[in-house]
Amino acid sequence: MLKRLLLVRGTEFLLFALLAAIPLAVQSPYALGLLTLLAIYGILLIGLDVTVGYLGQVNLAQAAFLGIGAYTAGILTTRWGVGLPMAVLAAGAVCTVLGALLALPSLRLEGPQFALATLSFLALTTTVLTEVEWLTAGSQGLSVDRPPLFGVALTPRLFFWLCLLVLAVVWMAMRNLLSGQWGRAFEALRDSPIATDAMGVGTYRHKVAAFAFGSGLGGVAGALYAYNFQYLQPQSYVYELTVVLLLGVVLGGRKSLWGAFVGATLVALLPNLLSNLLLFRAFAAVGFAMALFAGVRGLRRRAAGRFQALAPVVATGALVLGSFLEKNTEDWRKAIFALMLFSVVVGLPEGLMGFAAGALARLFRVAPPPLPPAAALDAVLPPRATRGEPLLEVRALHRHFGGVRAVDGVDLTVTAGTIHGLIGPNGSGKSTLVNVVSGLYTPTSGELLLRGAPLPRGSLFKAARAGVARTFQNLQLFTGMTTLENVMVALRGAYRLPLPLVLAGLGRGEERRAQAEALALLELVGLDGEARTPVKDLTYGAQRFLEMARALARKPELLILDEPAAGLAHPDVVRQVEVIRSIHARGVTIVLIEHHMDVVTSLCDVVTVLDGGRVIAEGKPGDVKRHPKVIAAYLGTTADEAGPAEGAPAAG
Amino acid sequence: MLIVKELHAGYGLSEVLVGTSLAVKRGTVVALIGANGAGKTTTMRAISGLITPTRGEVVLDGQAVTGLEAAAVARLGLAHSPEGRKVFAPLSAEDNLLLGAFPWLPRFFGFRKKAAGDLARVYDLFPRLAERRHQLAGTLSGGEQQMLAIGRALMARPKVMLLDEPSMGLAPVIVQEVFRTIRRLKAEGMTMLLVEQFARAALEVADHAYVMERGRIVVEGTPAELSRDERVLAAYLG
Repeated sequence: MLKRLLLVRGTEFLLFALLAAIPLAVQSPYALGLLTLLAIYGILLIGLDVTVGYLGQVNLAQAAFLGIGAYTAGILTTRWGVGLPMAVLAAGAVCTVLGALLALPSLRLEGPQFALATLSFLALTTTVLTEVEWLTAGSQGLSVDRPPLFGVALTPRLFFWLCLLVLAVVWMAMRNLLSGQWGRAFEALRDSPIATDAMGVGTYRHKVAAFAFGSGLGGVAGALYAYNFQYLQPQSYVYELTVVLLLGVVLGGRKSLWGAFVGATLVALLPNLLSNLLLFRAFAAVGFAMALFAGVRGLRRRAAGRFQALAPVVATGALVLGSFLEKNTEDWRKAIFALMLFSVVVGLPEGLMGFAAGALARLFRVAPPPLPPAAALDAVLPPRATRGEPLLEVRALHRHFGGVRAVDGVDLTVTAGTIHGLIGPNGSGKSTLVNVVSGLYTPTSGELLLRGAPLPRGSLFKAARAGVARTFQNLQLFTGMTTLENVMVALRGAYRLPLPLVLAGLGRGEERRAQAEALALLELVGLDGEARTPVKDLTYGAQRFLEMARALARKPELLILDEPAAGLAHPDVVRQVEVIRSIHARGVTIVLIEHHMDVVTSLCDVVTVLDGGRVIAEGKPGDVKRHPKVIAAYLGTTADEAGPAEGAPAAG
Repeated sequence: MLIVKELHAGYGLSEVLVGTSLAVKRGTVVALIGANGAGKTTTMRAISGLITPTRGEVVLDGQAVTGLEAAAVARLGLAHSPEGRKVFAPLSAEDNLLLGAFPWLPRFFGFRKKAAGDLARVYDLFPRLAERRHQLAGTLSGGEQQMLAIGRALMARPKVMLLDEPSMGLAPVIVQEVFRTIRRLKAEGMTMLLVEQFARAALEVADHAYVMERGRIVVEGTPAELSRDERVLAAYLG
């Protein structure tokens, strides 16, 4: 624990101390200018990394927010004499609001469409900054004085320290944010937006908040940028800067504060690197050596394909060769950028820091902090008393897809405290029915009531908040996370601390309580030994159990299990029946879709049989199994010797 | 027909298969059973070239195919009907079937005529597919998609077919139909390797069976022998 703290925090502290000490040793104003720029770009790239790294969307608007922030601060200071702290905060606030306004429509889009929306915002911003001359002085440019801070005139050195301080504060706030529920939510919504909504974590609102937050950081960086250069021109915030910023994030490494910092260093230093031939040759040689090392290692371990290993070697080789053949590197800068970007994207898709982090993790084996003991299950999932009242009522429900009537007038009442089986042939509308109830699909017509109150329609998120939890037939786990984190994302009522306190780092106690609760749920399904295992390393059977634990974290009244035993081998099926029984014993009402008839028979109190989108039978499992319509449509001839209705292992 | 020797394979740095060996004789059906995570699907993926084995050998009809790309293995006569069906959802059922015949059909002209015989055979086997030939594969029911996946594998005129969990997520009545089809293909002389959770049903159609545990074969024998083996009985047959 202490070792980890020392290593992680110590390195960060060392970095900032070192940076702060440089101006004491080096007097050159040129170096000081570079350092200041480095700090400002650091803030800007941390903001950009929120969308590019954590949301996984290409964001081309960050340069625009730099510009808007710069002009906001500049105009406030020159026209109205606003002080520096207020102006910086105002720039951040303006950009947060504008970021939210841009995000509201454009984050409904994905991928290239989102990128284009941000690109048009960038074009719009530069045009407005150029044309609204009465406010911005247009293309003549706006001179900005650097105001004193609390009566102290800011020398270049003091101003650098100020920028570094802001970077340190942003860095820490960001780490506090990302190490908690917000960070997990970002990770989750990239892995499976459907499951994120179904777990009651609003995908859309998290995306908008993240984008607004990143834009706000862009505004803060812009304000500092304005006071650094003291002269603003709209042309400074256009396409070339946008591309260079993206390059910085990708080169440095996405989803990493250190990556943003390394990227900022490269962005700040690159132009100067190119003007010094000797430095550039050394740089190219180092890149070539790295590519060669990574490529050979990747090939020997069979971790990389031939193309992935060799292409960066060829590209960096061309850089080295070029640096000796051609003296005028400035003219070739775009080609040089291109070769560098190509090598990194192919050879180090995780960026420089992603690569370094992997190597460092192997060098220093730091154990993660120990987990707290599991909470008492009674505290996490208090036993619920049920009195046999109707919990879920479905009335005359229709859901049509074009001409196909997937659900064609279904009436269904699920009584509180029961296990209600839902069976029927493939394509009979079972999955569509639960998809409508859980909010994935909007019903074409009909009524849905939960405890007599209308259930929100057509929104997984709202249905989840109303008390419906579900698992997915085709596993929708958050594959980038550990078993424990998957459950923590869905935990209901565990995160109540307001955002500013989370940013200040006060969320740790809450975080430990959430871990304890999640562990209790993992114990219930028998996965507590796998808490730290990445989900992608779990066996298929374990993933099925994890789906159930995660849905339980919603502490639901109604739990929908969509074919939980599909593809499970016999021993796992037996265990699953026990787990479902123990969940039911806590008073959770369960709707179970399942094809293993023995599972249905041993668990369910009532079974509803669907065929062609309609209910063809309902009753006790034993009665339903003898119903002639059910045998014809679903069970098949029981005389058939291969009939798994008989031949399948008896569970429980 | 298909021989697997001491196969090692896995994903990334974790090794799933640690020396799996098995053999499938011409014209027989071999069942591979075992718990979840034992490595059954990984075995199939390593045989068909979807993942590259780190060690070991795969021999198809006397020819070593170890480490070849999946497309090359398929051209040599191995058809893989994957777990979870994986049909081409935006294409019609018939186009899915035609793509199954891709290795031997002419590219541009006359392929429909050339494939007509094989199509007729598949439609004879699965009359439901004939009814739905123009429907998009993604809109078919789970059972129909499974038939389509098997039909698509058949269209390749394979020497060996790998069937991974053909009954997964299907209604009992459809599962029975799938097993009827497997029996019929067996009667026609098709060589098959079958992975199946319904161990008992799988043993009924198989000539020989292997039980996998933690990446290696632990028991093998005829279905009759396995049904008498107490460990197998307890763990997999219930």
